[in-house]
Amino acid sequence: MSTPDFSCVITAAEGGEEALAASVASVLDQSMRAVETLVVLPAGASAALRKAAGALEGRSPDNVLVLQPGSDSVASLRNAGLDAARGTYVLVLDVGERLQRHACRNLWQAGERTRADLVAGRWSRLTGDGTKEREPSWQHPLFLRSRTVARFTEAPGLAVHDALVTGFCLRRAALERHALRYDEDLTHSGVLFGPLAAAVVGRIALVRRRIVSGRAVPDAGRDLAGVVEAHRRVCHVLVAQGLAELREERDRAFLLDTVVPLVRTFPELPAAERDRITATAARVLPGCVPEPVLLGLPPVERVGVRLLERGDADGVLSAAYALRRRGAVAAPLSVADDGRVYWQGGPDPVLDVTGLGHQYRSFGELKLMNRLTRYEAGGGRVLLAGRLVLPAHTGPDPEGPLTAHLEFRVRDGSRAFRAPVDTLRPDATGISWSTRTDLTRLLRPLGPRDTVWDARMVVEDGRTRSVSDLFAAHDLVGPADTSPALPRLGRAAGDTWQPYVTLRDHLALRLEARRRPARTARRLVHYATHFRPARRARLLSRALRRRWDRLHARGFKVSVYRTWLLRLPVRRGSVVFESHMGTCYGDSPRAVHEEVRARGLRLRCVWSYADSPDGFPADAALVRRWSWRYLWALARAEYWVDNQGFPQHLDKPSGTTYLQTWHGSAYKRMGFDETRVRMQNAPQRERLQQAVNRFDHFLVRSEHDERTLARAYRLPGETLLRTGYPRNDVLLAARARDEAEGRLPRPPLAAVLGLPDHRKVVLYAPTFRGGPGKRKRQRLPLDAARFAERFGDTYTLLVRAHYLEAASLPACPPGTVVDVSGHHDVSELLALTDVLVTDYSSIMFDYALLDRPIVLFAPDLDAYAAERGSYFDLREKAPGPVTATEEELFAVLSRLKTADTGFQEQRAAFAAEFGHYDRGDAARAVVDTVFARHTAPSRTVPTGEAGR
Amino acid sequence: MSRSRDVFIVSNSTDELGGVTGWMHRTAHLFQEAGHRVHTVGIHAAERKMALPEPCGYPVTALYPSHPPTPWAPKGLRDRFRVPARRAEAARAARKRRAVERLSEIFRAARPGGVVIVSQVWAMEWVGEADTGGLRVIGMSHESYDYSRASHRYRWIRNHYPPLDHWLVLTEEDADKWAGDGMNNVGSMPNALAALPDVPSPRSGKSVASIGRLTDQKGIDMLLDTWALVAPQRPDWRLDVYGTGEDEADLRARCTALGLDSSVRWRGRTDDVPGALAASSVFVQSSRGEGFPLALLEAMASGLPCAAFDCAPGVREIVRDGEDGLLAPAGDIGALADRLLRLTGNPRMRDAMGDRARTGVQRFSEAETMERWEELFALLER
Repeated sequence: MSTPDFSCVITAAEGGEEALAASVASVLDQSMRAVETLVVLPAGASAALRKAAGALEGRSPDNVLVLQPGSDSVASLRNAGLDAARGTYVLVLDVGERLQRHACRNLWQAGERTRADLVAGRWSRLTGDGTKEREPSWQHPLFLRSRTVARFTEAPGLAVHDALVTGFCLRRAALERHALRYDEDLTHSGVLFGPLAAAVVGRIALVRRRIVSGRAVPDAGRDLAGVVEAHRRVCHVLVAQGLAELREERDRAFLLDTVVPLVRTFPELPAAERDRITATAARVLPGCVPEPVLLGLPPVERVGVRLLERGDADGVLSAAYALRRRGAVAAPLSVADDGRVYWQGGPDPVLDVTGLGHQYRSFGELKLMNRLTRYEAGGGRVLLAGRLVLPAHTGPDPEGPLTAHLEFRVRDGSRAFRAPVDTLRPDATGISWSTRTDLTRLLRPLGPRDTVWDARMVVEDGRTRSVSDLFAAHDLVGPADTSPALPRLGRAAGDTWQPYVTLRDHLALRLEARRRPARTARRLVHYATHFRPARRARLLSRALRRRWDRLHARGFKVSVYRTWLLRLPVRRGSVVFESHMGTCYGDSPRAVHEEVRARGLRLRCVWSYADSPDGFPADAALVRRWSWRYLWALARAEYWVDNQGFPQHLDKPSGTTYLQTWHGSAYKRMGFDETRVRMQNAPQRERLQQAVNRFDHFLVRSEHDERTLARAYRLPGETLLRTGYPRNDVLLAARARDEAEGRLPRPPLAAVLGLPDHRKVVLYAPTFRGGPGKRKRQRLPLDAARFAERFGDTYTLLVRAHYLEAASLPACPPGTVVDVSGHHDVSELLALTDVLVTDYSSIMFDYALLDRPIVLFAPDLDAYAAERGSYFDLREKAPGPVTATEEELFAVLSRLKTADTGFQEQRAAFAAEFGHYDRGDAARAVVDTVFARHTAPSRTVPTGEAGR
Repeated sequence: MSRSRDVFIVSNSTDELGGVTGWMHRTAHLFQEAGHRVHTVGIHAAERKMALPEPCGYPVTALYPSHPPTPWAPKGLRDRFRVPARRAEAARAARKRRAVERLSEIFRAARPGGVVIVSQVWAMEWVGEADTGGLRVIGMSHESYDYSRASHRYRWIRNHYPPLDHWLVLTEEDADKWAGDGMNNVGSMPNALAALPDVPSPRSGKSVASIGRLTDQKGIDMLLDTWALVAPQRPDWRLDVYGTGEDEADLRARCTALGLDSSVRWRGRTDDVPGALAASSVFVQSSRGEGFPLALLEAMASGLPCAAFDCAPGVREIVRDGEDGLLAPAGDIGALADRLLRLTGNPRMRDAMGDRARTGVQRFSEAETMERWEELFALLER
């Protein structure tokens, strides 16, 4: 072969014959042909390895070359490979790594087109159990686009993470020019080689193609000293290049990518291995990671690293449990005088875990770690001993009777067996317990189906009860710890209890068949359930199941609705209500419904709910959204009342009147004014138009709504009802009451939410930020914990996430931050709120009617307005101060009185412009107009002021 | 370095009116000029024919005289007893086997180093079964990733293209998106600009041009909304809309409703694109979806600065925003109106951008593209 395009250096290791063969095969299988393979054997390689390498060479002598340089460190083997390489590019593979079929072609193409010296692509590695492959999560942003950089600092991820350990190639000319070789004194020289090469060569190309797969699971524990040393050397390279900030990022990434995963593996390691690793860590880690970087990690992660650094094997194990079970208290906590909470071993700022918020929860509410320390089977009885961790601030009532029992619960079922715990020895940091139980007598499963039982412990002090799983290190129980079993169907159904530790790290028992009768019975059962007719039957039942499921799919329901249900006659006087797609009983449909009820109209009201009927009125018929009863109700209803839109695919029956109350005035562009809708294709837009054409009445609050919403949805003028929103009647009544008798006492809802009179109520209601189809828990733009810290004494913060989203709130002292996202009616909340904080939510248009302070907190105002488009300039018309940062918001809130005085006029103008038609009688006016046929003339004129 | 090869270009149809067929014949012609032996194959001959250059100079083969029937499989119990349908299906399968055999014969005639270019994924149903031993097979997709993603072609591509030697999308950005879905053999090849007009547009006429079929995809409705914002501020400017299509009546009605009749001229279909462009000073494109729009290339070749919706990677690749044209976020009518106002209000900017556009667009010239093809052929042979 003339000069090959690629030289792949593959180092072989003892016992890795198959891995070697797979790697070499992947190179020989390249779509590019001119690729040579250099297999480098270590000195004193075993005969099997030599034979395997020889066989590979023999099979394709032109492409495979076996080298035996006579050394055995991986670095020197690779260097020998690099010395012998003749290709234009060189590429080094680790044992077992496989090249993707088009890897060389992709690298070559990028290298030739960009003239880059180093071309890097994506690689994937095996996951923990070795069955799947996954790319490291940081690779995605690094390889988002194929690109070429003049220097590696333009793609800092290359040096921050271990991106260049594999999946890249180097131009051999550059390799020789810079005399790049692996450092032979390092055991993990591959970690250093990539960044070093990237730092000295010229141009670097990144290709968004998978190059290598099958990289081994990282095992930092095996040679922690070597890993740390390699990391240290990369940091030296970065510092030498004058890139101190990159070094800091690399330190952080090293902790999160290498050290924290090592901590996480602790429960799976044998005790001796844990001790060895912590001893090594105590030797090599201190001084390796700067304190500020460590402090920047999340609480449990930094605790794990610090304890590893201290060489505390037991502590690391606890931290590992806390990492694997989020929210569990895994070690005793102590509370310092200043209120900070420390992990066992504090006070050390690194061990500060105040942010986890454990201190706000009490004994019954906390997830406590109950660690199993002994499990001894023998003589028919099993000795179990363990320790339940208690944080310092809470625990069982010292006066009360402390009792506990073990509970064995069948997996995926509700049956359980209980055994009392014999001895409980509470002390300051926990409760040590031990007990002897006769598993054979206690646990009486039926036999064939209920074979796995999970263990947990329940501690009671007379009033509260705390349930905890029994955590155990994976080596605590072994094959020898079996006990005899006695199932109800007899020993033939199973004869042995085998304890084991689950993937979730807790103790469980498995019913096994060890002796002949049980094994035979199992085989018979297995045959009966698996021989051919049984398999047939199972397939058939699955197919039937699928058919059956199809009958409940929306597509089928829609077609039945269209073809059959729509032909049903309309039922006079029946109304279907829905609010926010069934998520709540609130908003204007509720106000209309209550008006109907108050007037005693003879209408049959049906409410639709999405998930749970809790909170919906008892006197109305309830139907689940998209159920058959829902479709039936819709098809027969004389009226549809909704604030957002009944499912687009459901046509309105011909005799039905649709009252669309709508859910708020618009700031951002809506409907056909929205860019997303405009870019949709014609059928999609037509579907929206069809859905909108169903509306017979559409409520508007002002001329602004007519200009914006009505035009955006192309609603004809005669559908508009200029009544204002029924939901706002409550607000205008509340305002009248404010003016007549003052704000206090608050409405009864305040007592339900636990809002004290002496603290003002701030409602934070940000708007919806996602697009269609996205339902992720979002981080709030406002840091509620900081708010509570600053204003805990003066304000209570109510947080209301948008009805399509859920907020994840940080841990805060009780009573300072209340999540009211699940509350059904926003108007009720608004009525007891003293200050509203929002961004672009339409809630501000309603709240302005109350004439109470509004503060706008819009960190991304310009970006939002640019992306979504807006109908007016918020800064110009704002009903209150517009703040862009948390500091500004807090400053406004801390001197609210003075800040607010300047805005009263503006607020009044805002309320007048956007709520011109809201006069407090919207519900009555709407009912009079829409349900005119059902309002008996004697009842329509109750007092003088009615009637529009 | 380039040597003569046998190049087979396979498309859905030999002579259907449409972009890809046009591309096929143009590319075949170029390969022919470069000394390759070209054979174009269509799966079927079309009913609505396009005018082919006569004579082609290379063989054109259609495997079926008209669109082949789609496969049929029994659904449910009743279908199982439909004898005529079963017989029709058997006949279709037999016909397909013959078509594949004919394709294999065509391929077998190739000298070593031959290349098969499959310009549309549907044709893979036949090419995939044909004997392509000794040939390099290159797939193509003439649309953006997002457009494929929204259609059934995404699955076809995922099924048919992974075993190929290489396959091509229009831009590197699209290729990256496909690579993110695990397609490692994907590359990119832009469409070529057919010809550079000898003289650029004088950019003296106060006219904004739009060229494209009057269909929903081209977004002329949004263009009218945009123009409704521009026209009051530029009373002396006109919008010239070239093209015909199914939506023409609706669009004209909308134009009237917006009161734009005096400033919008419906020019109908034109065969003299450079001539039409020479009368205008600015080009506008308001599409909902695009691949690698030739209309933009032609406008820029005529020296017109463009204002366009940034609706696809192809558009971003052709127009370098702020340098030789102005892009607006897709669907944002206000922003597109703003770009038009800037271009129509500033003759110096118009001239500077137009000149840069004419120079810049030559990176997509046919010579450049042919060179990329030769590079690709060489790469696949390494």
